[in-house]
Amino acid sequence: MIKMQQLSKVYRTHLIETHALRGFDITVKEGEFVAVTGPSGSGKTTFLNIAGLLEEFTGGDFWLDGVSVKGLDDNARSKLRNEKLGFIFQGFNLIPDLNLFDNVDVPLRYRGFNAAERKRRIEEALGRVGLSSRMKHYPAELSGGQQQRVAIARALAGSPKVLLADEPTGNLDSQMARGVMELLEEINSQGTTILMVTHDPELAARAQRNVHIMDGTVTDLTQETRLALQHAVEVA
Amino acid sequence: MWNYYFLLGWRSLRRNPILTTLMILILAVGIGTSMTSLTMLLVLSGDPIPQKSERLFVPKFHIADMRGYKAGDKPDFQFTYIDTKNLLRDKRAKRQTALFGLSLTVDSGRKDLPAFSERGMATTSDIFPMFDMPFRFGSSWSADADDKASNVVVIGPELSEKLFKNENPVGKTIKIIDRDYTISGVLDVWQPTPKFYRLYGSDATSRPEQIWLPFTNAVSREFSNSGWNNCSGEGAGSGYEGWLKSECTWIQYWAELDKASDAAAYRDYLSAYVAEQKKLGRMPRPEPFQLLSLREWLEDAGVVGRDTKLSTWMAFGFLMVCLVNLVALMLAKFTARAGDIGVRRALGASRKEIFRQYLIEAGVVGLVGAILGLGLSWYGVHIISSRLAEADDFYRMDFRMLLITLLMSISAALLAGLLPTWRACQVRPAIQLKSQ
Repeated sequence: MIKMQQLSKVYRTHLIETHALRGFDITVKEGEFVAVTGPSGSGKTTFLNIAGLLEEFTGGDFWLDGVSVKGLDDNARSKLRNEKLGFIFQGFNLIPDLNLFDNVDVPLRYRGFNAAERKRRIEEALGRVGLSSRMKHYPAELSGGQQQRVAIARALAGSPKVLLADEPTGNLDSQMARGVMELLEEINSQGTTILMVTHDPELAARAQRNVHIMDGTVTDLTQETRLALQHAVEVA
Repeated sequence: MWNYYFLLGWRSLRRNPILTTLMILILAVGIGTSMTSLTMLLVLSGDPIPQKSERLFVPKFHIADMRGYKAGDKPDFQFTYIDTKNLLRDKRAKRQTALFGLSLTVDSGRKDLPAFSERGMATTSDIFPMFDMPFRFGSSWSADADDKASNVVVIGPELSEKLFKNENPVGKTIKIIDRDYTISGVLDVWQPTPKFYRLYGSDATSRPEQIWLPFTNAVSREFSNSGWNNCSGEGAGSGYEGWLKSECTWIQYWAELDKASDAAAYRDYLSAYVAEQKKLGRMPRPEPFQLLSLREWLEDAGVVGRDTKLSTWMAFGFLMVCLVNLVALMLAKFTARAGDIGVRRALGASRKEIFRQYLIEAGVVGLVGAILGLGLSWYGVHIISSRLAEADDFYRMDFRMLLITLLMSISAALLAGLLPTWRACQVRPAIQLKSQ
């Protein structure tokens, strides 16, 4: 589903060059639930942004669902992003002056669905996250957990192949975080590939696969290492 | 997507209402000011009689002697009585008319309506068909009445209503100064804009005269010209007869030709006439005559004054200042929306779509600004008309002006929105999404 080979990303200013990713290789198969961990500044978010076609990479190759992303123009990247990817952010990123229905409607508008199809998808997506009865509410009228559910509904409405989640529970208390995580697991169980950046080892442990990013390079962790890391975190 | 973007633009007006109100007000004031000035300019520079303006001409002669002559001096804009009489006699145009202004006293004979002063025009019967003047009742006096200097009159609709209410007064008489005049017709409402037929001694924004009587009759009664008299050389002579024989210019002359191309032949006629007059010792100046089309006549008379042109330029300069302010406000508004733009980009909006959305939003500001600007323009035109023009509705906004206002406001807003929209498209979604 996602394949990156020798990917590099360099941020340049007139004074310095910063290598955010270097020789980055990763393959994520369809249906996997991958947790991405690593210390701050290691390159996790850069990786997610490149995977989400929100940033261009400097070198290497990247295939998304078999399509080479290299050299695509803004229109093609936007189309690909709209059709194949769904995003969930730490800060929810709902549009405050649109109600839930209209928030979920945003990616569907860019997809070009007709009104009836959009309505069907919005109702289904909001129903899936348990917010059917709140369609006319505005984001500010919801709790953080509910807002994140709306963000998940918005990400799911377009039936994406891959869900990219950047610290999806970072702004939630533990109970709400658990609820969101259960929802992500349910979505994954129905076939959607999930790539989740997290600092939380407990959440990372619930993913099928863990990758660790350090200084812009990636390490695939074994089950044993994951458990050891989790234990070390718990002891600390 | 256009409808969707329009809806978003409409909703966006409610977001940050103070900023939105400022944007709309700035645009509306700029549009209101410039459209008020533009309306004045367009009304004054309009064609007052488009159906035949190409066939209407004003001949001008150099009457004065060589004293003070400079090459390029314009000929007199009015005629002497001598030339008027000669040209009317020759009848070389399809129609020809002469006119001079009158200030008359009308005695209604009614106790409830004391004698009052009214403006009039001494002219010939050709003027009515020549300028397509509409009649409410009756018609012009006859050519025979012209020849016989009869006491006949055509009155304007306001005078008719004042004296006879809604009755048809044709055949009745009104007392002008001390004689009865038989009414042959009543004009319908007629307000050429600008009032072109007599620009000197009468303002281009004034109402048409309410009394029209035969030129010959006015001369026979020795009515003096209420308007511009220009005497040079020997001066006015003595008495009314001396006045008529003098080289003073005081009569406006118009000729209607069959077709515009007949102007060359008419020029030949004028040239021959001038040659004949030169033999009589008149018109000594070189290039002694001009034949102006209606359009040339309006320009020559400076109907669109320098003040009007200058104020229009200044109004558009003010609009530019407003637009610069609008750009700054839009930049502030759109920059505050960087987060939304980041989200939309992440959800599949291309830069092109963001550009469309925000430009349409700017267009919505333009549309609302147009509605308010239209109100301000209408009010501005109304104030100008009531203060500067004799006819209250002389300056008025027609459908064309409404359309221009709408288009100008939306175009101005789109123009002002270009930079902020372009900046909005440059938002890097990754940074915005993380920073929210």
